[in-house]
Formats: sequence, C-alpha cells, structure tokens
Amino acid sequence: MMAEQREEKKQQYSGETFQVVSFRLGGEEYGVDISQVQEIIRMVEITHVPRAPRFMEGVINLRGQLIPIIDLRTRFGMNRADHTKSTRIIVTDIGSKRVGIVVDSVSEVLNIPVENVEDAPEMVAGIGTEYIQGVGKVDTRLIILLDLSKVITSEEKQALDSVDEAAE
Amino acid sequence: MSDEPFDKEEFVAYFRDEAEELLQQIDGDLLRLEEFVDSGQADPEIVNSLFRALHTIKGSSGMLGFTEVQGLAHKLENLCDLLRKERMPLSEGSVEILFSGRDFLTDLVQAAIGQSAPPSGLNEFTGRLDQFVAIYNETSNVIEGKAPDRSEGGNAVGSEPMNEAEIAAFEAEIERMLAEAAATAPPAPTTPTANLAAPAVESAARPAPARGNGESADAKKSAAQGKRSSLAQTIRVDIDRLDALLNLVGELVINRTRISDIATTLGRLMGDRALNASIGLIGPLSKDLADSAALLARTTNEIQESIMKVRMVPIGQVFDRFPRTVRDVAKARGKEVQLQISGADTDLDKTIVDEVGEPLMHLLRNCVDHGIEAPDERERQGKPRMGTIALNAYHEGNQIIIEISDDGGGINLDKVRAKAIKNGLIGTEDRLTDRELIELIFTPGFSTAEEVSDVSGRGVGMDVVKRNITKLKGIFDVDSAPGQGTRFTIKLPLTLAIIQALLVRVVDELYAIPLDSVIESQRVEMPDVRTVHGSEVITLRGQVVPLLRIADFFELGGERDPEKVMIVIVGLQGRQVGLVVDSFEGEQEIVIKPLSDVVGRIPGISGATILGNGSISLIIDVHSLVSDAYAGGKVTRAEFSGV
Repeated sequence: MMAEQREEKKQQYSGETFQVVSFRLGGEEYGVDISQVQEIIRMVEITHVPRAPRFMEGVINLRGQLIPIIDLRTRFGMNRADHTKSTRIIVTDIGSKRVGIVVDSVSEVLNIPVENVEDAPEMVAGIGTEYIQGVGKVDTRLIILLDLSKVITSEEKQALDSVDEAAE
Repeated sequence: MSDEPFDKEEFVAYFRDEAEELLQQIDGDLLRLEEFVDSGQADPEIVNSLFRALHTIKGSSGMLGFTEVQGLAHKLENLCDLLRKERMPLSEGSVEILFSGRDFLTDLVQAAIGQSAPPSGLNEFTGRLDQFVAIYNETSNVIEGKAPDRSEGGNAVGSEPMNEAEIAAFEAEIERMLAEAAATAPPAPTTPTANLAAPAVESAARPAPARGNGESADAKKSAAQGKRSSLAQTIRVDIDRLDALLNLVGELVINRTRISDIATTLGRLMGDRALNASIGLIGPLSKDLADSAALLARTTNEIQESIMKVRMVPIGQVFDRFPRTVRDVAKARGKEVQLQISGADTDLDKTIVDEVGEPLMHLLRNCVDHGIEAPDERERQGKPRMGTIALNAYHEGNQIIIEISDDGGGINLDKVRAKAIKNGLIGTEDRLTDRELIELIFTPGFSTAEEVSDVSGRGVGMDVVKRNITKLKGIFDVDSAPGQGTRFTIKLPLTLAIIQALLVRVVDELYAIPLDSVIESQRVEMPDVRTVHGSEVITLRGQVVPLLRIADFFELGGERDPEKVMIVIVGLQGRQVGLVVDSFEGEQEIVIKPLSDVVGRIPGISGATILGNGSISLIIDVHSLVSDAYAGGKVTRAEFSGV
C-alpha cells in the first residue's frame, strides 16, 4: 500500500492514536473507529424482513427510528451463532446511514498508537482485505481495524445485486 | 464558514425557483394577452405584469452573472415597454415573438444553471427581436416627433426610457422587491467583495424614487402590492425540512398511542379494589394521566393536521402550465380548443403534486390529439368549431378527484378492437364488453392514433399514465360516449405519509395492509377453497378469486390451519386477490417509514411502521406483492384474470 494512502487513513483517526471500539466475532478481535460508533445496545427484538439479503438480520426500533441490522458473521462468511447474554448491537453512523451490526461481544475502547498499526495482510480469517484498514497490535493482541463505510457500501451493492437477480 | 463570502449555490437555487415561477406567470400572462389580439389593444394590467416579471428575471440573472439570460430578458422587457406605451400594436406577430422569447428565456435559464445545453438559434431570434423593436421605435418616433423629454422619475435600471408617474411607482415596487430578495439572501451581497451581487446592492441601496408620486400612482401601487401581498407572506421551505418535521410528528403520534395505552391499563388496574386500597395514590394519578393523555392526543392530532396542511400546495401549481401545452398542441394539430380549469386552489400533498403533472399533461395532449375533432368535422356534426376540455379538481372525503373531460368524439371502440386484434391482444372471436375494450387502451404499447404523431404517440402510452397514477395509490377511470366525449377520472389520496391500515398476523409477525386497497376481509372454511391448476381459489359472489398465501410468498414457514383460512380481499386493477393471513388484528392509522436503502428493495414490502407498543410492522405493498407473485408463477395467469 502506498505510504500517502496510509497517511490519509491515519489522519481519519484522532492524532497519533487510533481510538477504536473493540469487539469479538468468531475467534478474532476487531476494532471500529470510535467516531463512527453511535451507541452500543443489548440485543433487542429484531423484526425479520422477508426476502431481504441473507446478511440482513432485520430492522429494530431505536427510539422511533428504524435501524437496519447487519449480521457481520454472515457477511464475513462465518457460521451464524446463537445470541447470548453478551451479544451486542453496535449502532454505527456512516455518512448519513445508520446501521446496526451484531457482534459476539464488545470488549473495550482502545488507544492504539499509529506506529503499532500494520497494513492488512492479504487475507484475514476469510474476510476480504477491502474491509480492513490495518491490524493494530496491543501487547500480544491483534486487532483487525474495520473500514465500516466499505462494509456498508458493499452490503448495499450486494443487496442491489440480489434484487436484480430476483427481478430477472 | 464565515470566510466564505458568497454562497453562490444558494443564490442559484433561489434564482431557479424564482425564475421557474416567473416564467410560469409569463406564460399565463401571454395566454391572457393573446385574447386581446383582435382588439389590437393590450390590457395594461397584463402588460405590466409581464414587464414586472421580465424585469425581476433580468435583475436576478444579472446579479448572478448570467449575462445571456439578462440580455434576453432586457430585450423582451423593451418589447413589453413598447406595448405598454402603445407604440406597438398588439398583434399575433408580437404575441408570437413574446412566446418564442419566453421559450428561449426558459432554455437560457436551464443552461445558466447547468441543466441543459444552451439553445440553438438564439442569435437569429435576437436578431429578429431587435429588428422588431427597431421598427416600432422608429415609427413611434416619427409619429410622436422627437420624443418629448420625460426622463424625470425612476430611470433606474438599464437604458430604456422611463417616464410617467405610473412607471415610477412600478420601479419603486420592483426596487422594493429586489431589496427584499437581497435581504433574504445571506449577508453576502453587502460585502464589497461580492462582485456578482453588486447590481442588486446598488439598486437596493438607492432610495426608492417616486414613492407616493401623485394619487393615481399611489392607487396603482397599492393595487399592485395587494396582488403581491399573497406572495410576500409566504416563505420557501426546503421540502426535506418539512419531511423531517413530519417524521418528528410521526414519533409524537406513536408515543401518543403508547401513553393512551398506559393510561387505559392503569385505569383498569384502578378498578381492582384490593390494589386500589393498598396504594391509595393510584386513583387520582391514573385520572390525571388519562386527562393528560387525552389532551396530548388532541394536541398531537392538531399538530399532525397542521403539518399535513403545510405540505399541502394548491394543485394549480401544476395546472398553470397546461393552457400553454393545450394551445401549442392544438395549433400544431390545426384544432381549436379551449381549456376550462376549475378547482385550481384544491390542496394536496406536495409530493403528489410533483408526480401528478406528467400523467395529467399526457392525458390533456391525448384529449387534444385524439379526442377533439378537427374544426370542420365538428361543424359537420353540429358541434361548435371550438372544442372544450374541462379540467376540474375537488376534494371528496380523504381524496382529491381530478377530472379531465372533452367534448370530442369519444373512444372509437371499433378502432380499439381492430387494433387489439392486429396487435394480438385479443382474438377475432373474442367478445368483449365496452368496458373491457376501453381497458385495452391501458395495455402497454397500445395506441389507436393512425399515424404516430409527435404529440402523443411517442411510445409512451396510457399504460404509463395508469401506472404512474397507481404508483401514487390513485385510482384511474375512463368513461366514454361515442360522439359526445371522454372523461378521465383520477382519485388520489391527499397524502402518502400517514395511512389507515389493516393489521394482520402472519406466522410471528404483524403486517400492515393499506386500507385503501382492502375490499373486505373474511373467514372461509377449507372445504370452500378449491384448487385450479394447483393454485387455491375461492368463489366470492360468483367471482373466482385466486388466493395468495403471504407466509408462502415471504417464505416464512409456519403451519397451515387445516380447517379455515383468514382472507383479506384486495383490489388491484379491477381484479381481486385474496391474501391469506393467520388472523386480523384491527385497523390503525400508521405513519409510513421507508426501509433504509441499506436493506434494498424488497418485493411486496413498501416500508415499515412503528406500532403503539414500540414493535415494528412491515407494510405490505399490495401492488408489487401481487405482480411479483403473478410473475413468479405463484398465481397463474388464468386465475389472475379471473377465469
């Protein structure tokens, strides 16, 4: 990856550290830019939307607002997991879109110094590198930094594709 | 943001809206002016109105540096000036050149705001215009001798000679309006760096001349202001802001329902003596809550109604451009047609007004092109040479009705039949009722025009009109009597944001079916459900109605009741389909919320709503549900067409 692109990405984060909300999904630990996180809520009743793309879990009512919920496990090609006591919905704000993502559990808010962030390796546990901004090292832990806007855009594209398929 | 001296974009948006409105007005003025051609004398009121509109366009385009628009507006203004001073007689030629000028002006405005390429043939036109003006300027000079010196008064803008107290009053009025426009814009125009805004600043800063310049001037001015006052007291609001407001009101409505629910529950608890005795405070509290809930309900309803009204605009906004269209089409086809408009002040939701224009325009073109006969033909039939098209709008209950009727030849059913047979839509042996024949004109690709005219036969047919109306949840109907004319009736809901819905349960979820498409709901015992070609149907009052199981369509699973089915009969394009649900859960007013575009388009679902208890109910899009099921083979063609 080009050095200036790295620079650009880093500037999206606050100054010299990446401030991320970290969460678990499958065996891995992920992080999303804290500025994109609106709030973290416990599992609520999700209204299933029939014939929606598979990764669309449904919609929830968050104080009068309809929020679409994406199951990241399905999106990343992992097995679905039953919701447990620690399952959370991270409500994210990307551009003008508000989307909730279901994760196994939320860990903490981490400050990762820029120098501890590496470029994404070719493949990380089956998910494409296009969603990954980099991998952060915190002690012995590796945090996969997700670019949520990419996740959402490609979700959208996929959703549209599947509708087009249905139309044919 | 503060070091941004001049937000041109905002100005341009303002300019576009303003120009659109004014060009519309010019059109109307020209049409009225045309009626005076025979007398050769223009009504000064109309000419003044034209002049004013052109002047405003000239001013604001100059402010934004749209010199081409400014130039043409100026030339046209000069022409109006000649008319106003009666130096030029009102003739067909002068009206025609004003009409063309207006069209070029529209094109130039579009080009200036970057919505289209600059029009071709502009130079030839301005040449013609200059010649025209030159002729009359000369002749008038000859007639009057050297024009007397009347240059005192408000010689405010440009080079045209201004005179007479009346004009001075006009100028004052225009200055005032320009000043207002400058004042409503961001503070930019007052900063010296804002070069583009300079002309406006100049004219705004100059003390308005000739205010109160003689009695007659005053009278005219106040008359002009009286006419303008309805404009002055309105403001432009971005529709997005209104939508946001409506959304908030939606929340309020939902919460109102919730609070009422709580109050009712508490009221019931109060009836429990034991409980009431143990907590003595519940009684009065519960009563307070009930009162307060009732008050909240009333206020919320009023707010909701007010917001809906804010979104309402008179349908006349759309009607305004029709007289011109009808005139042009009639001229092109050598027909004489008058358009009678009534009910232009009937209000309906802005979003519907925006969408309904195209279909109406198409219907009107059709009336002129196919409905009204040629003048000679009409005379032979003992009808007046001039055909009449009536466009009428009025409220009926929660709907608006728009009627377009003409006194032309009506729909020629023999032609329709012949055409349908030719196109393979029906067989030569098929016997169809008149009604069914008329329905055929809504079939895609159908057109009875013998030659494809450039007026209404552009491949866009009545099917598109009907589809657009259906999309707005409207109903479209046609009546036709041979030799007497045709009437199109369109029924539209007043708003699309809040609707009455029937709630139904399917497997575990609640779905809302818009009540306007529901005909009835009933319970049918299984033995009465028959199977035709592998699909379920019932017979309802002698009509075969195909059934569509929502659980199957949405792939929800669930078990079938072996004894009975609960059916919601919905109407669609004159056909009926029975939607099978698990149970009926009552009617409710719901606020439609679109599903996020992240979810994508889902066939059969038009949005969602939040119910009083906070749970979400998806709204069924009857139209797409049935057509999707129909296309996907879940309901066969034979059953769908009621065989």
